[in-house]
Amino acid sequence: MDLSLTEEQELLRRVTRDFVQREFSKETILKMEEARQETTSELWGRAREMGWLGMLTPVQYGGSGNSLTDAAVVFEELGRGPVPGPFFSSGVLAALLVQEAGSEEQKHKYLPGISSGEFAFSMAITEPDYGWTPGSIGLTLTSQNGAYSLSGTKLFVQDARSATHFICAVRQASEVVFVVVEAGAEGVEVRGLDGFVTSMYEVRFDGVEAPTSAVLAEGWPAFERALIKALPILCAYQVGGMQTVFDMAVDHSRTRVQFGRPIGRFQRVQDHIVRLVNHLDSARWTTYEALWKLDTARDAETSVHMAKAVTAEAYVKACDAAHEVLAGIGIDKGYGLTLHTQMSRTLYSYLGDPKHHKRKLGNALGL
Amino acid sequence: MNFELEYTPEQEAFRKEVWSLLEGCGLDELEFPVDSHDLSLDQYQRRRRIGRALGEKGWLWPTAPTQYGGGGLTIDHAIIIEEELGKAGLTLPPYYDSGGQLGGASILVWGSEEQKAHFLPPIFKGEVRTWQLLTEPEAGSDLAGVKTNASRDGDEYVINGGKIFVGSDHGAEQAWVLCETDPSAPRHENLSWFIIPMDAPGVSILPMDLLGTGNEGGAGTGRKNTIHFENVRVPAFNLVGGENNGWQVATTHLELEHGGGGAIQPNTLVSRFIDYCKETRRGGRPLSTDPEIRLRLADIYMRSEIVRLFGVRNFWLANANQPRSYEGSQLSYYEKMAGLENAEAMLDILGPYALVKDERWTVLKTAVELDQRNSIVNLHPAGTADIQKVIMSRRIGVGRSIREKAGALA
Repeated sequence: MDLSLTEEQELLRRVTRDFVQREFSKETILKMEEARQETTSELWGRAREMGWLGMLTPVQYGGSGNSLTDAAVVFEELGRGPVPGPFFSSGVLAALLVQEAGSEEQKHKYLPGISSGEFAFSMAITEPDYGWTPGSIGLTLTSQNGAYSLSGTKLFVQDARSATHFICAVRQASEVVFVVVEAGAEGVEVRGLDGFVTSMYEVRFDGVEAPTSAVLAEGWPAFERALIKALPILCAYQVGGMQTVFDMAVDHSRTRVQFGRPIGRFQRVQDHIVRLVNHLDSARWTTYEALWKLDTARDAETSVHMAKAVTAEAYVKACDAAHEVLAGIGIDKGYGLTLHTQMSRTLYSYLGDPKHHKRKLGNALGL
Repeated sequence: MNFELEYTPEQEAFRKEVWSLLEGCGLDELEFPVDSHDLSLDQYQRRRRIGRALGEKGWLWPTAPTQYGGGGLTIDHAIIIEEELGKAGLTLPPYYDSGGQLGGASILVWGSEEQKAHFLPPIFKGEVRTWQLLTEPEAGSDLAGVKTNASRDGDEYVINGGKIFVGSDHGAEQAWVLCETDPSAPRHENLSWFIIPMDAPGVSILPMDLLGTGNEGGAGTGRKNTIHFENVRVPAFNLVGGENNGWQVATTHLELEHGGGGAIQPNTLVSRFIDYCKETRRGGRPLSTDPEIRLRLADIYMRSEIVRLFGVRNFWLANANQPRSYEGSQLSYYEKMAGLENAEAMLDILGPYALVKDERWTVLKTAVELDQRNSIVNLHPAGTADIQKVIMSRRIGVGRSIREKAGALA
């Protein structure tokens, strides 16, 4: 038993942390949020060189073939920002789906570009009839002169503005399959969704054409397999977010003076921070154990669904607790807490809400 | 990261050795009442005999130093012994004893060489069982406010006062006691820590009638007692850690008791409860197929898993000599609250079936009914849930820039 990170992972953590602090300062992230922009070509260009996007892709497809735990170390640091951008969408979820679902040819076609950051993939799964089960996929792929045509709406798509490609879940007869569509193709329209959300879009497809070779070889079951690996990485991102929120709350409890003493001396304030750290550590350790099980080829299904259910809820509740500690200053957008509050809400339902994953956990437990 | 314990071939051979010792201990004749208060004197004595058999090999307190009667073994060996006892339905030690882990650790840290040589071997060999005597009627959460008085008289101390919520059924050979030795000294500088033989004249024991039995220290405690001291004389030699230094001594066992040592054994009630819900039909279908019950079962499972993971983390922190802060109290707090929430979820799922121990209608041989009571009882021992939050906040450094340090472990 050894719950510490390896020396290489500690180094990776430090390098990532330094980069994030240098390139993604709170001010930079606030500016991007103000502009409703998940990345800039300049930031993406520098981040590409860090190699994060190819961590989960094998060397023969242009990646570096790292473990999931390695990737989680990086995403925990990104979550501290919280750094926006299609790092997870493209470098984790799309990369894993192409590996699970793609033919050899498709892997060679897409993975090197994903790994280098030349491509930015966004996952267009959910629709107005919102849900993360195959039954919720209604957009239909129609055949036309040996090619396919795609018409309909994908809703609550993450990171669509910066995407070069979409992987779109579509219905083909009774199956759900995945088709890769170039973002610049004729008939693709991306519209940002304003509100208490980060990097969320409506993507409309109006007679968009795709060659048959753009349909990934395997359908929904491959997506489920990719999800099992991808979810703990998303959890790690949220754990990083919670860590920042925790640090903010503890720091404020020491420096904010009311009634002649630091507010952290009041047990009612302490209660909020105790609640916060319990959420943080519940999320952290369910996530770490899931990663370890996956990296050592153990059956990880119960652990992964548990980690996702625990973590999505924990991030929301951790932000709530921090708002109670930070009170007025916490809702000032310039302070930075609300970046996390908004992210916690955005990620709450993403890839299935806690109830969805508790149902899956129930299945895995044989209930 | 590696969450699993791995054993060498040498350790696997050791496992066989432990099991063959246990096989010779009359395991067939052991009984396992659901409520630890139902454990008979005969059954208790059988467990003490197993304890002595283990103690002779140094396997009762395996990681304690051999020079004081411990096993001088690695934590991996301790876990193997614990796992083998687990197969026989027993814990390590096989009965409630505050001597080895808590008291022994305190003596190792704070005792003189002579005291270690005198007190530790009987504890580590299982010749004595030791209770901890801390709480008083007027000093519960405010443990440092104890008033049981110890006054120096020549080579002895004379002890007067009373302790509450003590020990278990079937008595103990000795106890450690936190006493006040200087009522005029400032708080935390007025206390002393003694070992007292329970058969000393002037010690009286009265059992308490409580809602449940609790389960500190692994093995069930059975019934708690009040203890009264009337002019009890103990040799000055029995004062450990020096006069008026008792609070420092106590920080060592309090740290361990507040979850600082961690735990790796899973909670079996939850898995048995889940199985029960799969096998039991209501309204023509298994309980576990009801959508609402499924979500509640998932919540129960998740809470018990988080308790397990916090225990594994603390176990690793303590045994890999990693820096520790609020984690011990976090485990204790979370386990208390998760226990209560899970009991309430079980009540919600089963209704009155969760509450009866009637032979005909009870669920899981009264284990659920017992848990309904004990989940409330467990909120208080070894520091209330609220006290755990206070400790967490100090250790995290909420409202203060200097973080309180965790207690010293042996």
